[in-house]
Amino acid sequence: MRTPSTLLLIFVSTVVTALAAAQTGGTRSGEQWPTPAGDAANTRFSSLTDINSSNVDKLQVRFTFSTGLTHGHEAAPIVSGNTMYIVTPFPNALLALPLEDSGAPLRFKYQSNPSSSSQGVACCDTINRGATYSNGRVFFNTLDGQTVAVDAATGAEIWRVHLADIKRGETMTMAPFVAKGKVLVGNSGGEFGVRGWLTALDEKSGQQVWRAYSTGSDRDVLIGADFKPFYAGDRGQDLGIRTWPPGAWQRGGGTVWGWISYDPDLNLIFYGTGNPGPWNPDQRPGDNKWTAGIFARDVDTGAAKWFYQMSPHDLYDYDGVNENVLMDIDIGGKPRKVLAHPDRNGYLYVIDRATGEVISANPFVHVNTIDKIDLPTGRPHYVPEKKPTVGHVVRDICPHAAGGKDWQPSAYSPMTHFLYIPHQNMCQDEEAVPANYIAGTPYVGANVKMHAGEGGNRGVFSAWDVANGKSVWEIAEKFPVWSGALVTAGNVAFYGTMDGWFKAVDARTGRLLWQFKTGSGIVGQPVSYRGPDGKQYVAILSGVGGWAGAVVSGDLDPQDASAGNGWGGAMADLPQYTQKGGAVYVFALP
Amino acid sequence: MMGRLSNARFRWLAVGCALLAPPGCSSNHAAMNPAGPRARSIAELMLGFVSVSTVVYLIVSAVLVWAIARRRRAGTSDDWLQRGSSEQSNVRSRQVISWATALTVLILLTLALCDYFVMHGLSSRPTDSLRILVTGHQYWWEVEYDDPDPSRRVRTANELHIPVGKPVELVLTSQDVIHSMWMPNLSGKKDLIPGHQNTEVLLADRPGTFSGQCAEFCGLQHAKMRLMVYAEPPKQFAAWKQAQLQDARNPSNDIQRHGLEVFESSTCILCHTIQGTQAAATVAPDLTHLASRTTIAAGALPNTQSNLASWILAPHRFKPGVQMPATQLQPDDLAALAAYLASLK
Amino acid sequence: MSSRFLELAVVALIALTLLGCERESRRFSDSPATPRGVQTIRQSELQPGSSIPTSGPPSPYDDNAYAVSQGKQLFEWFNCKGCHADGGGSIGPALMDEKWIYGSAPANIYATIVEGRPNGMPSFRDKIPPQQVWQLVAYVRSLSGQLRKDVEPSRADHLFTRKSESSSPKSAPVSSSAPRDTQ
Repeated sequence: MRTPSTLLLIFVSTVVTALAAAQTGGTRSGEQWPTPAGDAANTRFSSLTDINSSNVDKLQVRFTFSTGLTHGHEAAPIVSGNTMYIVTPFPNALLALPLEDSGAPLRFKYQSNPSSSSQGVACCDTINRGATYSNGRVFFNTLDGQTVAVDAATGAEIWRVHLADIKRGETMTMAPFVAKGKVLVGNSGGEFGVRGWLTALDEKSGQQVWRAYSTGSDRDVLIGADFKPFYAGDRGQDLGIRTWPPGAWQRGGGTVWGWISYDPDLNLIFYGTGNPGPWNPDQRPGDNKWTAGIFARDVDTGAAKWFYQMSPHDLYDYDGVNENVLMDIDIGGKPRKVLAHPDRNGYLYVIDRATGEVISANPFVHVNTIDKIDLPTGRPHYVPEKKPTVGHVVRDICPHAAGGKDWQPSAYSPMTHFLYIPHQNMCQDEEAVPANYIAGTPYVGANVKMHAGEGGNRGVFSAWDVANGKSVWEIAEKFPVWSGALVTAGNVAFYGTMDGWFKAVDARTGRLLWQFKTGSGIVGQPVSYRGPDGKQYVAILSGVGGWAGAVVSGDLDPQDASAGNGWGGAMADLPQYTQKGGAVYVFALP
Repeated sequence: MMGRLSNARFRWLAVGCALLAPPGCSSNHAAMNPAGPRARSIAELMLGFVSVSTVVYLIVSAVLVWAIARRRRAGTSDDWLQRGSSEQSNVRSRQVISWATALTVLILLTLALCDYFVMHGLSSRPTDSLRILVTGHQYWWEVEYDDPDPSRRVRTANELHIPVGKPVELVLTSQDVIHSMWMPNLSGKKDLIPGHQNTEVLLADRPGTFSGQCAEFCGLQHAKMRLMVYAEPPKQFAAWKQAQLQDARNPSNDIQRHGLEVFESSTCILCHTIQGTQAAATVAPDLTHLASRTTIAAGALPNTQSNLASWILAPHRFKPGVQMPATQLQPDDLAALAAYLASLK
Repeated sequence: MSSRFLELAVVALIALTLLGCERESRRFSDSPATPRGVQTIRQSELQPGSSIPTSGPPSPYDDNAYAVSQGKQLFEWFNCKGCHADGGGSIGPALMDEKWIYGSAPANIYATIVEGRPNGMPSFRDKIPPQQVWQLVAYVRSLSGQLRKDVEPSRADHLFTRKSESSSPKSAPVSSSAPRDTQ
């Protein structure tokens, strides 16, 4: 029987949790995990406290489920209504695992049947970053460019729209984001000369509500009277055409293949655009708007409110698509509504999310390509000796093309106020060469070979103090940490390594508390939820691949250091440590 | 040196040329027909060197002939030896030799100084010049006009249009082997070296059409790698540039429409660009305004519809070793393609 | 003895010249093996009833260094390199190893380029003329070291990513390998 003090404890902890959730500006549906990012603010924070830093060392496997596939498993295994939904890598089946049933035998397996030719235009392994649940429907994208809505209970297809054209090199790999009845999806293909866009589809019917391109006229980019960029360099007419050589914007990239967050109070969504195409910068003089930057748009109409370009005239494939984690924190004694964005270019930006003003930008890895961000203009200062140009080899470019951090998402704890960043420590030698545009074939223009940065460790998992702009602790890893991060209210942070270890560390100190060797390297996103039996579970997909793991998942030959667009020489040892093969692992306390 | 040029001197030069080499002087591919002050200074220097050398040559030849003739007149070799061994004639010989040597040194120094001043003048890089990037390929010239507004950069091939009276800075490089650019009416030779950028300045002071040539052996078709230069009054140049910025003309009849279909569905689309269509490849010349050029294949053929068709069918008949492959097309497809390309003004 | 030596020297000289003739010959208007000839190649080892050995037409440029270097240039221009890197693979499989998913005979490689393959290899029919396809076939074979060393390209004037084709050991093809994932 519950005592009054217990009741009071429950009441207080519920209020505290609700307040914590409200502070981050996110919305959470119960204690499930219905979207890859956990909440609209992209915190990847679980409020559950059953698993904490003192008992996580007892975590055990409760069940596993093999996907039967051998490419990179980058998805998050989302949970809603006591069902776990997993989107597999190509051929993008949707598995529904009922968590009440022991061993989770499939409730349904929806076959999306994408075109097998789409495997030939996927730059970075045939991965998929997961499904999203909303209002009884599960939404996900297929490699050949379709967005599908499936009934969450039965697996029946509700609608399907074909948005991307693989004959032009366009694919889709990102996890859709749902806000205010709209399913937001973006394309991939920045290495194929694809023109990037973000499309909003009606949740119920799949009809297109709006589409915002990342290059082209103001009309196409949905730039209108409401557009108020903070920096002067982003103001002007039709900059999406005028900052490119004639016609180049049509092949300009700026694809939207990363993460989207949403602030319901401002009614704004935040997302980043990908690299400009081709990688060879000599072919596209100009700032190349609106690539490699962050857009804030009105969620109802798509109208742009502000834009900030992290890498104008990007020289290094520093896509801007990484997560924008929304948080309300005190900076310099004043409460600010900001977003934290660990960018490919190695700088961690703290940006006022109402105006687009950069409050701070500090490197979270060793960066020698950009020596500072000039805060009055917002522009990075590129180091002249490190600029790639045709006919010359530039050595030791740090960070490399996959950046200080690639797509793998970080997590934010409102308790420690740290951002937990899975990332890499890599440099590269690069020779720019002329790229020849042929639709449906790669449009890159660079010979690249990568190597580990200072210290020799290719990966890092670190904690970053956002308000003060500095690193708190760092864990060096042998391989790039290509998995996402999860942090809980029990002060435990989870991540996985490319050789298959799923690790739990103390969120305050970084001390390793627990680890488990799964069947294959981990490149997926960990989640946590309360199961039907009331216990807290942590789930992760294992199955090596992705751009960094293509040496194994694609059977590449590391005798060619440029295999996998530069990873070949840097990951020659990975096959010794892990082989391919995907499965979901679900853990709980005994 | 450049500052002291005068029209009178040039007229003298022209007369001299006309007498010496009639075809070379009015030609559009002649160093002795300079079209701008920089080329004029080179032509003048050349004429100066030739003149001085000719005079010296004539004097030396005359002295040599006189010496031989004098010796014959002198009679026996003994007499000559006797005469030559006198103290007085030794001194005289030494004096003559000394003066001749001193004069030679003086002439050479003067020539060297003239050369230095001309080279110094040519090395100046004006700050307000129009910048054009020229990239050498086997066997064609890629031309891109620089502009502070990137959306106003013009791409073309095998020809340069330059405004009269404005200095033009060419930034030269190559994608494959070393080439060299030489427009004798406008400039000296400058190499295009892969992995390296050279610059050369052109300045035309009268309108005209001038021909340039690859001047560094670069392969089988080195001889057929011509670059045409059109010096135009500034207004005409601006109009040309504006026209080049436009996308390609849409096909205006069914035959041309079919020609565009053929272009986009065969080998052409893997190498060529036509702005405004699906073709955006850059390993071969930009064809967006092909019909505005007077020649094709870097000057190898006049630009006519039938030459286009013959070229597409069998490029190696005209330039064996060129990178463009033979394209097998049915006769009516070929005709439609040629008609479409001929419409791209 | 010395006249014998002279005879041998002359014969050697003639042999080297003839060898060099093919290595350096530039046939610009070639029409090597027609597509119809290529269609005799098979992808499966199995034939019902009796087996007739068929290997399709041979590679016409295996001894021609000019054609192989043209093939290398086309490999970059047509973006083969974008998917296959310098032989190590990326989006497409490695070409420098011993695994040939769709057959290693020159006619198989020709067919792969021209027809495309189901797991993402595009079809270049009508986009690359037959002579250039054969040049690409010869270059692709050189990526795994299957041509004579004096015909294969030597060190390229670019960022060093792998030992040059002519100094790489030969990877003798094995008969087949598994295709990609299905469900």
